[in-house]
Amino acid sequence: MSNDPVDVLIIGAGASGAAFAWSIIDTRMRILCLEQGPRIADKEFPSRRDDYELARYAEFSCDPNVRRLKQDYPINSSDSCIAPVNWNGVGGSTINFLGHWVRMKPSDFKARSLDGVADDWPVDYPTLEPFYELNDRNTGVSGLGGNPAYPPYCPELPPIPIGKLGQTLANGFNKLGWHWWPSDVAILSQDHDGRQKCVNAGTCDLGCAAGAKGGTNFTYWPMLENARVELRTECRVREILVDQSTGFATGVLYHGPDGQVHEQKAELVVLACNGIGTPRLLLNSTSRLFPDGLANRSGKVGKFLMFHPLTGVAGVFDEPMRGHEGPMACAILSQEFYETDPSNDFVRGYGLHSGRSTTPMTYALGGYGIDDPIPWGEAHREVMDGQYPYLAGLTVVTEDLPEERNCVTLDTGLTDSDGIPAPKVAYRISENTRKMLKHGEERSKEALLAAGAKTILAKNGDSVWRRAGWHQMGTCRMGKDPETSVVDGWGRSHDVKNLFIVDGSIFVTSGAVNPTSTIQALALYIGECIKSNIGNLFD
Amino acid sequence: MVTGEKRQLLDLILDELVPPSADGRIPGAGEAGVAEFLPSSESYVPKPLDAVNSVLSSVSAKSADFSALDRTERVSVLKAVEADKPESFETLVRLTYMGYYSQPGIRPLFGVGAHPVHPEGYAVERESDELLAELTKSVRSRGSNYRA
Repeated sequence: MSNDPVDVLIIGAGASGAAFAWSIIDTRMRILCLEQGPRIADKEFPSRRDDYELARYAEFSCDPNVRRLKQDYPINSSDSCIAPVNWNGVGGSTINFLGHWVRMKPSDFKARSLDGVADDWPVDYPTLEPFYELNDRNTGVSGLGGNPAYPPYCPELPPIPIGKLGQTLANGFNKLGWHWWPSDVAILSQDHDGRQKCVNAGTCDLGCAAGAKGGTNFTYWPMLENARVELRTECRVREILVDQSTGFATGVLYHGPDGQVHEQKAELVVLACNGIGTPRLLLNSTSRLFPDGLANRSGKVGKFLMFHPLTGVAGVFDEPMRGHEGPMACAILSQEFYETDPSNDFVRGYGLHSGRSTTPMTYALGGYGIDDPIPWGEAHREVMDGQYPYLAGLTVVTEDLPEERNCVTLDTGLTDSDGIPAPKVAYRISENTRKMLKHGEERSKEALLAAGAKTILAKNGDSVWRRAGWHQMGTCRMGKDPETSVVDGWGRSHDVKNLFIVDGSIFVTSGAVNPTSTIQALALYIGECIKSNIGNLFD
Repeated sequence: MVTGEKRQLLDLILDELVPPSADGRIPGAGEAGVAEFLPSSESYVPKPLDAVNSVLSSVSAKSADFSALDRTERVSVLKAVEADKPESFETLVRLTYMGYYSQPGIRPLFGVGAHPVHPEGYAVERESDELLAELTKSVRSRGSNYRA
């Protein structure tokens, strides 16, 4: 392992780091990616085991505080109603994400102009559209063209089956005259590009052993390694180094698999650790020039954390819905209530996602992302025999508006296995979100009843799903003003000219859709901007 | 490992936590052998046998001969234990569900395959273009619903 200087050092081998690396491989720059986790072999995915469900509660939990693997850093979420979840390793959280591949909408980039809330992005949908297209081609996306909720585009592959569950709910939406559409997914509906089509295993969160799900372990990384991009695994970056006279980043210190701390020099440092890991690393990189954390002269590093608060409503139908068959997060999606409606008591909106139901153990333990087991005793029999097979549900996925109080800081008392301070998350949902969730619950009940549900199962109280912090956005927001944002319109730090951020932390608003498609489109866009400005990159 | 009389008591308790179906088609958790799973469940909770033994002791303290009780009486005892030892009891419930539903032979009783989901998965037919066109016809007919 040589620590010779490289041209571009990318921190993180997940969704954004891999896409960004691909975007610049034609520059012939020497590219190195440091990833704190290992590569996981296909045969290690638990979906090949007889007792595959058990892995959700141990080494393949989405929650790093449950997994506690060597590469995982703990996250203090005691002051948050939502626990962040992730995966650390080659592919990042695309290893255990669910592959729902929804684009943000044109209005998502203009919340201030259109609705007087949050801020506009410095980029817009038309600018990103070609990068959505490019990324979709690299990923392999299945879906149905002609969705009237978007400007025209057409996924390359036909949609995955929506199944009995999806068809049933679609009929409910049609009766009400509400929008719905088969979900776009980063899951192959047919063999494609040397990868096998989805086998409808229904356990996307346990890693896709078929290679059908578009994790970057199956999409970008094979292309990158063919192009001789260097990937060093089990290398955890401790700190980004800065020349105190020029203010430029010079490289990083990282803990290698040998247990030693190494210095790696680079001309360009690119952060791709997402909305918790990226601010954590910047806040851990202090110096005389940056006493409050690197690239943090604005004081906004770690601020404006956004998730997508969720709630769910299920209906019990007369016939088995076979909801465990097929990609688990997505069959159809309604965006009837996505855009701001002045007749509502909230601004912005939400989507109604028809996640499929889950496997028996997970349902008995409360559902995916929920720790609230169903009753024991005879009531257990009634639930498992009389409800479980007949369930179809809707998940209300709300837009989370940026609020400065929701933030990532450092927990000085909690560290990872290398002694690096862990992140601490402070987060609570707003009144606007609470109203949105309530509205979404009521509309979900209407849709399920229209679809033929005989009984509605809704939770009591106004709590949100606890283990639902997949989408971590906003903590190093983009913007034109260095006083109020961390990076500019193409991901470059306002404060450090050779430091870029390409992950979900640069989102200005969250939209109400799964963000990975947009994260990667942005990463490709930033790569293109760097290439276009290569002659005067550091001016 | 739980053996002897304690094992017999544990099986009775497990059969109340997840009872068998009335028609006998679906076994209870005791009959399904969940007790064998509990000692090896340290990946899911620390010191699982501490919770098991706590519940066993509490049941024994409240009922000299649990096996002699009818099912209604057994449930009453277990509810009292649940109130007295909520953490241990919840741990036992969670582990019981894990040990029970992780058995390949149990899943088909709920319509789910016994097999590992990879590589076989499930055969789900994709909707025809005609069916999708019909289903989405009314959505298309209403035109675009986004703000540019």
